[in-house]
Amino acid sequence: MPGANIDLLLVGVSHRTAPVAVRERLAVEPDAVAAALAELTALSAVREAAMISTCNRVELYVAAEDADRAATGLAEVLARRAGVAVGDLAEHLYQHRDAAAVRHLFRVASSLDSLVVGEPQILGQTKQAYDAAVQHGTAGAVLRSCFEEGAFRVARRVRRETAIARNPVSVSSIAVDFARQVVGDFSRRRVLIVGAGKMSELAARTLRTHGATLTVINRTRARAEELAQRFGADVADWSDLRGALTAADIVIASTGAQRPVLTLDLIKDVRKARRGRPLCLLDIAVPRDVEPAAGELADIYLFDIDALQKVAGEHRAEREEEAAEAEAVVEEELGRFVKRWRSRQLGPMVSALQAHFHGIARAEVQRVSGGVDDKERKARLDLLDSCVKKLLHLPMTALRDADPDEVVSMVQAVQRLFALSPVAAVPEREEAPAQSASKKAAGS
Amino acid sequence: MVVNLGAVTTLTWHAVGAYAIAAALYLAHIVGLRRGAENAGRVLLAVGVALHFADIGWRCYQGSNPISSTPEAMSLAAFLIAAVFLLTSLRYPLTAAGAFAVPAVVALILLARLAPVEAPVQGEVYLPAMGRLGQAHILLATLGVAVFAFAAVLAIVYLFQDRGLKRKQLERVMDRGTPLETLDRLAHRCVSIGFPVFTLAIVTGAIWVARLGILHGRGTLRPEYLIAVGTWIAFAVLIIARVGAGWRGRRAAWLTLGGFGGTALVVAAYFIRHAV
Repeated sequence: MPGANIDLLLVGVSHRTAPVAVRERLAVEPDAVAAALAELTALSAVREAAMISTCNRVELYVAAEDADRAATGLAEVLARRAGVAVGDLAEHLYQHRDAAAVRHLFRVASSLDSLVVGEPQILGQTKQAYDAAVQHGTAGAVLRSCFEEGAFRVARRVRRETAIARNPVSVSSIAVDFARQVVGDFSRRRVLIVGAGKMSELAARTLRTHGATLTVINRTRARAEELAQRFGADVADWSDLRGALTAADIVIASTGAQRPVLTLDLIKDVRKARRGRPLCLLDIAVPRDVEPAAGELADIYLFDIDALQKVAGEHRAEREEEAAEAEAVVEEELGRFVKRWRSRQLGPMVSALQAHFHGIARAEVQRVSGGVDDKERKARLDLLDSCVKKLLHLPMTALRDADPDEVVSMVQAVQRLFALSPVAAVPEREEAPAQSASKKAAGS
Repeated sequence: MVVNLGAVTTLTWHAVGAYAIAAALYLAHIVGLRRGAENAGRVLLAVGVALHFADIGWRCYQGSNPISSTPEAMSLAAFLIAAVFLLTSLRYPLTAAGAFAVPAVVALILLARLAPVEAPVQGEVYLPAMGRLGQAHILLATLGVAVFAFAAVLAIVYLFQDRGLKRKQLERVMDRGTPLETLDRLAHRCVSIGFPVFTLAIVTGAIWVARLGILHGRGTLRPEYLIAVGTWIAFAVLIIARVGAGWRGRRAAWLTLGGFGGTALVVAAYFIRHAV
């Protein structure tokens, strides 16, 4: 029966409903995706299947013949995977159907359901999930519509039209952005890493990707050499700290010292030797490595962990504000998607109804047009065709705009009233959906 | 006092309109009203520069070259500031500078075009009759003022950016800012280019004034001559201090602003003397 329902069913767990202990048991490794998808499509109620598996969520999206039966089957698959009884997993599971499932998919792809709202990775992960389904032949017309024509488009629009992902929220990204506002491009800049601990390593990795030249300095030279070797950095001797600071454009301080190692007097000396060249000091150590008063000196730009975290907090709050705008985009696109879907599903019935009316009109024209010339007959035919179109316009619009719950009964009523035979829903692009989708994915 | 409306052509108004919209877009971006407005602003600025160039060309064709009077020279200076900013902004992120430079261009061109008509002062030399030396002086001074004005805009942005970073206002400096080193380097480059031009302007001006004194028996030492020399000294100190003592950053920005302030006073003195 053609109707308004979108045969999409979602069953899954996410950071909102399940602790990491549950999520990690459900997570699917990339090389096990094919088997997992095959297991899903082996369920009799499932026609198509895709699976998003990240550290924050495991979600199964399926096109279902019978949503209730499919939901039970999917819950059993997940429980089996987690090695628990279905009842034990039930408290962590959520499911959505029809437009609600589509809305959830749109929100996930747009990063509105992410742990860090606006994070960019989820869109790529959603694309990978769909590509895998296409590659393994488990994606069809329903998933193609929901992912390709829906979720990816919505996610792009959200990124383009809102500032949800504009400002970074991680401390390392914010530190890099601050430094860039002082010294510009990193490619010809010298970065001094003071300390050789875990935080220094993270900083070195981030800055290396931006093309900076690194120098590591540490009280224990051996540890500095070890870190420098991993990142192709130079090593400076601790006794030459003043010289290394003078040569640097950016300093990342992350030692485990209990007192500031970069004292105000030392920075004053360095500042004098730098002859006005600005110096960016990123102090990510706790306790702090740089004496706070150094930040008051002209041409010295000091950002400590509190400042960086404060900015991160502000950016997170901004993202939450932007999320409201993004939700509006999702709702708008969902409305369009449902309308498009309904119009596609109602197409065959509408065609049958139009053919029925036009057939009657043509028969009547033939009946009363004996003895008239072709020109007159055509004029009469056009007149009646035009009348049929106008008469059908309002009911067809009402059918497309009707409440989803009403549509099925309305369609049945139309079919009974006009003696139309039931017509199956025929997607617009029935032929080889998976093939065309995979081509598109390859193209992108 | 007669307003110089006769000098305003349709092209002038179109150029002013394009500049004004560009200025509004740059300002809208800087106060965060509209994201991406700077791209539209740059397009409008390019349109304004093209129209302004055509306007200057049309005036030359009509016999009024860009250095024939103070308003024409001011219009040329406005054009140079706009063109230099446009070209520089293609390579560097200078949205914040646009919010200062483009409104300044609009103000300068309006001041030039809506200012009272110049009238020869009793015993004064009328500018078109100034001779080649005078024309060379005006041309060089105009170029120098335009380049210094651009350096001053960069210095203003530097000081704002510096304050934003000191206050850890990342969003403000990140979205609309230009790296401090870039601003400092560009401003220094402008001063380095503008200084020899301004030096030549002062030399030609001094010779010209001396000749006028001999010709007309007038040797008054006007305040603007002293301000011009003071300005020249300020920029000389800036360049020497940068090369010799490594003066950069905030100090260099303040000195650039001080130097430009002197330049602006000289221009204002000329303008008032010839317009009122």
